[in-house]
Amino acid sequence: MIARLLLLLLALLPVAAPAQEAPLVASLSQSEVEVTTGFTGASVMIFGATEAPIGPGGDEILVVVRGPTRPVVVRRKVRALGVLWVNGPSARFARVPGFYAIAGTRPAWQLLPEEERQRNGLGLDALPLESTGARSPQFRAALLGLETASGRWLEYAAPVEIDGSRLFHVQLPLPATVPTGNYQVEVLLVRSRRIVARQGLEFRVDRVGIADRIATVAQAEPLVYGIACVLLAAAAGWLGSVVFRRG
Amino acid sequence: MQVYLPIAEMSVDALLLVGIGFGVGWLSGLFGVGGGFLLTPLLILIGIPSPVAVASGANQTLGASVSGLIAQWRRGNVDAKMGAVLLVGGFLGSGAGVQLFGLLRRIGQVDLAVSLFYVVVLGTVGALMVMESVRAILRRGKPGHRNRLHEHLWMHGLPLKMRFRKSRLYISVIPPALVGFGVGVLSAIMGVGGGFMLVPAMIYLLGMPTSVVIGTSLFQVVFVAANVTLLQATQLGTVDLLLTLLLLLGGVAGAQFGAAMGTRLRGEETRALLGLLVLAVAGSLLWGLLRTPDNLFSSRPAL
Repeated sequence: MIARLLLLLLALLPVAAPAQEAPLVASLSQSEVEVTTGFTGASVMIFGATEAPIGPGGDEILVVVRGPTRPVVVRRKVRALGVLWVNGPSARFARVPGFYAIAGTRPAWQLLPEEERQRNGLGLDALPLESTGARSPQFRAALLGLETASGRWLEYAAPVEIDGSRLFHVQLPLPATVPTGNYQVEVLLVRSRRIVARQGLEFRVDRVGIADRIATVAQAEPLVYGIACVLLAAAAGWLGSVVFRRG
Repeated sequence: MQVYLPIAEMSVDALLLVGIGFGVGWLSGLFGVGGGFLLTPLLILIGIPSPVAVASGANQTLGASVSGLIAQWRRGNVDAKMGAVLLVGGFLGSGAGVQLFGLLRRIGQVDLAVSLFYVVVLGTVGALMVMESVRAILRRGKPGHRNRLHEHLWMHGLPLKMRFRKSRLYISVIPPALVGFGVGVLSAIMGVGGGFMLVPAMIYLLGMPTSVVIGTSLFQVVFVAANVTLLQATQLGTVDLLLTLLLLLGGVAGAQFGAAMGTRLRGEETRALLGLLVLAVAGSLLWGLLRTPDNLFSSRPAL
């Protein structure tokens, strides 16, 4: 697959190179990830080419993927009555990306001034996570830990690989729990501690087939869905007892 | 074979779900109970979020009880009048239960409430069952003992009396409606049919004859579970149809095998085993509340 993509890139290059305008060209292996009933995760490849050689002393590449945001509540368990563990204080984060991945030829903190890195949200510690509720920084750290453990937040988990000196690609895994929606991809070209070019790309994660139909009906027509659940369960129970009666 | 559950939004092994359905169905056929009290904790254990586990458990209980109800109805073992009174209480109770469940979810205490309900209810019922059956096993062979049909208590002086011909009772409608209400609340919060509580309540509290107890409790369980499914689907959106159907696939098969085996076991031993099983589930949930969690923090999408 990689070989095929690289061939595709080579085909793209003559268009990009003679113009002498685009120092960076990037693309995605797919513009849509389909969540079927058999979905166990997927991986998306981001690949491209640069005008100047990539590597130490030359250009560097950073790739950031951000999924749709959603509000998340983080709760801390406390001891009640001396024995029971119950949910205690909580912090509500209004805009938490359901997926976040950063990859690069080198980590962003080595490539960019700290201020620049924070401003562009490059790295988990640079994510703009505003919260209400409990004040302690523990909650933010806990959110980072939980999301990283679930595989939805990745920090330099996969390297940006360089082929030749101008072609790059990176394969990012999407776990089965990724939310559906629009994903923004940003590919940055860094030269002498400055971002000199950037390209934005986009892909969608969509439910398809039965999984999609169930979720859509459940959301749009909850009453119809509820009645269908009741009738289908009753029918399945009755049918099963007919089929399995006495062997 | 992994399958993506659209409402739980997670990927689970389909064979594991069918297997759990089969195991629980087998036990429920063996002991003649719905098995919801085993199913919901097992689903939570394999990582299904509690709200989805409870709602889908109620939906599965409905399916698993339908065939039993049809069989009992044919044999004329359902007291429809008593069932209707229980059901009025059951509908009100499950409505209140779903509201309470929604409130608990908003304040982030669903897991605690579900676990606590299970520990208290199952612990009590399990202990009573074990004690009662051990006493019956010890008493076996000693002649001259006879159980009274039912006791005459203060509740028989309550107003609104009604005649229940099939149950051969002339009692106030208040106690059965209250029993129905209580089981309805439990059904909504625990995702169970409540047969394991309803049957003893009907025998010991209401004094109904054993022959109509199973059929009438199934009558109540089917309709209350249907109501819970409908309310959970419309108000909280937590019923996962795919999960329900996979569980039922194993469940209906398991129930038939269990029922065939159950006829070979003696009543007291069966009840003692069921009691121990109920106690074991309560014990493992209690352990979950008492032990220091690996991670003190948890996150959930906010509502």
